[in-house]
Amino acid sequence: MIRYIVRRLLEAIPVVILTSVLIYGILLIAPGGPTARFAQNPRITGEQIAAFKHRWGLDQPIPIQYCRWAGICNPDGEGLGIFISNKGLPNILPEALGGGDNGMLHGDFGFSIVDGRPVTSVISERVVPTLILAGTAWLLWVVIAFLTGVYAAVRRYGLFDSALTVFNYVGFSLPTFWLGIMLIAVFASQLRIFPASGMWDTRTVPAFGTDRYWTLLGEDPGYVLTDLLRHLVLPVITLIVVSIAGDSRFVRSSMLDALNQDYVRTARAKGVPEWRVVTKHALRNALLPVVTNLGLEIPFLFTGAIATETIFSWPGMGRAFIQATNNYDYPVLMGILVITAIIVISANLLADILYAVVDPRISYG
Amino acid sequence: MAERTVAVTADLTPAELEQLLLERPDYEVQLESLNQWQLAWRRFRRHRLALAGAALFLALVAIAIIGPFFVHYDYYEIPHPDELVYAGRPPSWISGDWDPPLLMGETARLQRDILGLVVNGARLSLVIGVGATIISVVIGAVWGGVAGYFGGWLDSVMMRIVDSLLTLPILFLILVAGKFLGRGDWPSVMLIFGLFGWLGLSRLVRSLFLSLREEDFVDAARAVGVSDGRIILRHILPNTLSPIIVAATLSVAGVIIGEAFVSFLGFGVDITQPTWGNVLTSSLDFLQQGNWWWAFFPGFAIVLTVLGINFMGDGLRDALDPRARI
Amino acid sequence: MTSVLASAQGGTRADDVVLDVRDLRTYFHVMDGTVRAVDGVDFQIRRSGRLALVGESGCGKSVTALTIMRLIDQPPGEIASGEVWFDGRDLLTLPADQMRAVRGGEIAMIFQEPMTSLNPVLTVGDQIGEAVKLHQHLRDREAFEAAVQALRDVGVPAPERRVKQYPHELSGGMRQRVMIAMALSCRPKLLIADEPTTALDVTIQRQILELIKEIQERTGTALLLITHDLGVVAETVDEVVVMYAGRIVETGTVEEVLLEPRHPYTRGLLSSIPSRGKRGQRLSVIKGVVPNPFRMPPGCKFEPRCPYAWETSVQGEPTCAQNEPELLSLGDGRASRCWLHDPRFTGRLRDYERPTAGAEEAR
Ligand SMILES: Nc1ncnc2c1ncn2[C@@H]1O[C@H](COP(=O)(O)OP(=O)(O)O)[C@@H](O)[C@H]1O
Ligand SMILES: [Mg+2]
Repeated sequence: MIRYIVRRLLEAIPVVILTSVLIYGILLIAPGGPTARFAQNPRITGEQIAAFKHRWGLDQPIPIQYCRWAGICNPDGEGLGIFISNKGLPNILPEALGGGDNGMLHGDFGFSIVDGRPVTSVISERVVPTLILAGTAWLLWVVIAFLTGVYAAVRRYGLFDSALTVFNYVGFSLPTFWLGIMLIAVFASQLRIFPASGMWDTRTVPAFGTDRYWTLLGEDPGYVLTDLLRHLVLPVITLIVVSIAGDSRFVRSSMLDALNQDYVRTARAKGVPEWRVVTKHALRNALLPVVTNLGLEIPFLFTGAIATETIFSWPGMGRAFIQATNNYDYPVLMGILVITAIIVISANLLADILYAVVDPRISYG
Repeated sequence: MAERTVAVTADLTPAELEQLLLERPDYEVQLESLNQWQLAWRRFRRHRLALAGAALFLALVAIAIIGPFFVHYDYYEIPHPDELVYAGRPPSWISGDWDPPLLMGETARLQRDILGLVVNGARLSLVIGVGATIISVVIGAVWGGVAGYFGGWLDSVMMRIVDSLLTLPILFLILVAGKFLGRGDWPSVMLIFGLFGWLGLSRLVRSLFLSLREEDFVDAARAVGVSDGRIILRHILPNTLSPIIVAATLSVAGVIIGEAFVSFLGFGVDITQPTWGNVLTSSLDFLQQGNWWWAFFPGFAIVLTVLGINFMGDGLRDALDPRARI
Repeated sequence: MTSVLASAQGGTRADDVVLDVRDLRTYFHVMDGTVRAVDGVDFQIRRSGRLALVGESGCGKSVTALTIMRLIDQPPGEIASGEVWFDGRDLLTLPADQMRAVRGGEIAMIFQEPMTSLNPVLTVGDQIGEAVKLHQHLRDREAFEAAVQALRDVGVPAPERRVKQYPHELSGGMRQRVMIAMALSCRPKLLIADEPTTALDVTIQRQILELIKEIQERTGTALLLITHDLGVVAETVDEVVVMYAGRIVETGTVEEVLLEPRHPYTRGLLSSIPSRGKRGQRLSVIKGVVPNPFRMPPGCKFEPRCPYAWETSVQGEPTCAQNEPELLSLGDGRASRCWLHDPRFTGRLRDYERPTAGAEEAR
């Protein structure tokens, strides 16, 4: 088992490298690149742009820029010395072993071009809101898709099954962002049941993540949490409707498949009660394809998060991503993309491991 | 001898036909010869939902083509010059004000007829959806076909690249590319969606090629010295068309939604051009004023289109690839 | 010899009858129409008796068995009529929970495909133990031991190790043994074996049949063996019911049916079995295929393939193509659904019974 995980982790390394190279390529082959945002500003001179480029290392050849960013090269080095850290050892080594301290490999994602803050701190304050939103959504998504899919399969052709089929078709055809807009139109603008934007009520609750927020949470957790929940409702619904529509259909067909298998007939012939046939014999087999699918769908969660966070002004990574793209803030962009890639790869790995646990036919070899 | 003649018009499987002949040796059976596509059309025709979807989609295509000749999107030459922020009028059938008739109401601020915007937006949305899909089908088929046909290390490298790209939500890349590389005209948006949309397709094509290249007819072609390129194009590719067509259909729907979102965010087609996403762009800001029709109708157009395409895709799957399941 | 015919038409049931099936009809309503998979079947099995249901694939044998077990999916299936008397109860009208107690507890069933009939994600012990836990209310520990014992009873080597394995770790023959162990773990009064050896290698087939027979004799459970292969019934059962197109076409003891088939269909089935006596001869197979369920012949269902079918010239006489014969009782518990046995056609019956009468000439 351990060996299986290690092997999968090793396999993921080239994927991460390739991914980062590709993203870097896209960002930097852009005609204007990070300086494009100065193009419209007449007060910025050519020298200032050159200085800006030098300061951010943008005057270097792209491969070197990438190596600096990744931590293979030492930004202070010259010629071949760029591969050597200030301690005289290969820069790529961990810092403790005499390597450099710059670059992603050393946990340094650089600084935001826009405000000069470390990328790690820009991202870390955005991660938690996204995890709250996406995590809640994912849990509900999985549970609801699963329950509805299984129930529809067990009661095939029933009223619920037909209703679910209609929902699946319609839900699957909804653009996430438009669904968000419509929910705001109905529940925020017209009915005024839920807030239209943000993660907290700005009049009564301090900004999320600040010390005052935590203090208030300690003093009046009920109020702060209810407030958070109220703000969560619409974004979460927006985020999950499309996914549930796709997945409950998948669960349903997977469950129908399992219920039609010979071993289910064997179980019934043994006199196993129907609910046990469903929960014990069919469900675990139906779970197998579903588990893989769940891992593969994690990227959709992030895609959905961009739309949802934009519509609802949710202060998460998706919104940070849009802002960074708008500002050509490529260190932040790279940071977000690499973190996302790592999360997705880990999720896939987790799904594979889960699959191996559920299915005795898979050996970890 | 043959006194009775039946023309077999239903699409019998060979086994059923054999059975029929065995049962009634005195029948002369005239088999209407149908090729794969005619059979598929028969099955598609029986699929009611798919027909409805196709009708819906064709209606939208018709609107996209001829609609703009009748409805202009900059309907009024001069917006109310005396009002700083124009509030936008609701649809006539709600307000009762039929002068001028406004089927879907008016946008706030620039006072534009939403019907005109939606009808004109259909053009670009459909063109981008179909065009990008064609680009990705071509790239995906070539990439997946080469990887699957040749196999070995080439396959490993090519598929590892696809896997890497698929670990990222593709929309992230499309957004970045739209901002960094896009020029705001529809061909560049179409190209970006095409260039990032082929990954899933290449996987599908590869798996089809992997199994098909083991078939006897491929060996036979190889034995008589047919070149690899010809085998791929003339012998294997035609056998992969059915699943590719199904996937491509569904991909059109995906691109239409994606384009709308990217344009909505301002990373796609320039705001001066009417696309469904662009029309929605400022609608969010005016929801508080009760301007729901502005946000509703363009989005509803997207939903109808996508629903139609998805129905059609389901029907095509059943018709072309009867063994495939969801 | 008790009659295997539904002789108990008066409603009296002999006490030594464990299963009494009467006028069973099971239909499937599918898109293209209605399939009358079982269309009026009657038979009885004595306590500890052994009966085989024989017929080509698709003639309704499995559906008959599944109807007895009430395992037909409804819809698309429909049990249109019939009674299944088992131990003094009509299973078709039994409440669902009592029926569940019968399944596995009093009637057990083995299926054709040992590869797919066991749940791939549960251990063998788990699956055997489940039956015991359900019907004998044992605890986990006891169920585990019962499972080990059940495996030992069916000749699985190293049962303590096998119980912890998953089906994919076992061979086909071993899995079928597991199925048998599972079926017999609760000491059922009736065992239904639906083509238990069809999916297995020839050598394994023998072993499994031997095992079923040996266990049947040891435990005294009644056996309903379903097979398309008349070759396996000779040493395994006492009575035979031959089915064709959802109907019974012939019944009798195994010796009578094998040595003296009364129905042309049975004769056709027999001449397609390879045997020592016929070595060197060409095996004949029945020409044609079973009729399409949506295009059943109006008369005798076997008529399109029957070498003995004739077209009548006499007004008022039934014809094979237009009139379906009854299941005619021939005395001694034998019956055959063929116009040959109608008193009007004794002349033709003599032709049929002439040993040399080849199928082709008769036509
Ligand atoms: N679930 C079902 N739906 C529709 N038709 C069925 C179903 N199960 C069985 N049948 C039909 O019933 C007939 C008898 O099948 P079966 O009893 O399985 O034959 P066999 O004698 O080979 O066991 C066949 O024509 C089959 O097509
Ligand atoms: Mg069968």
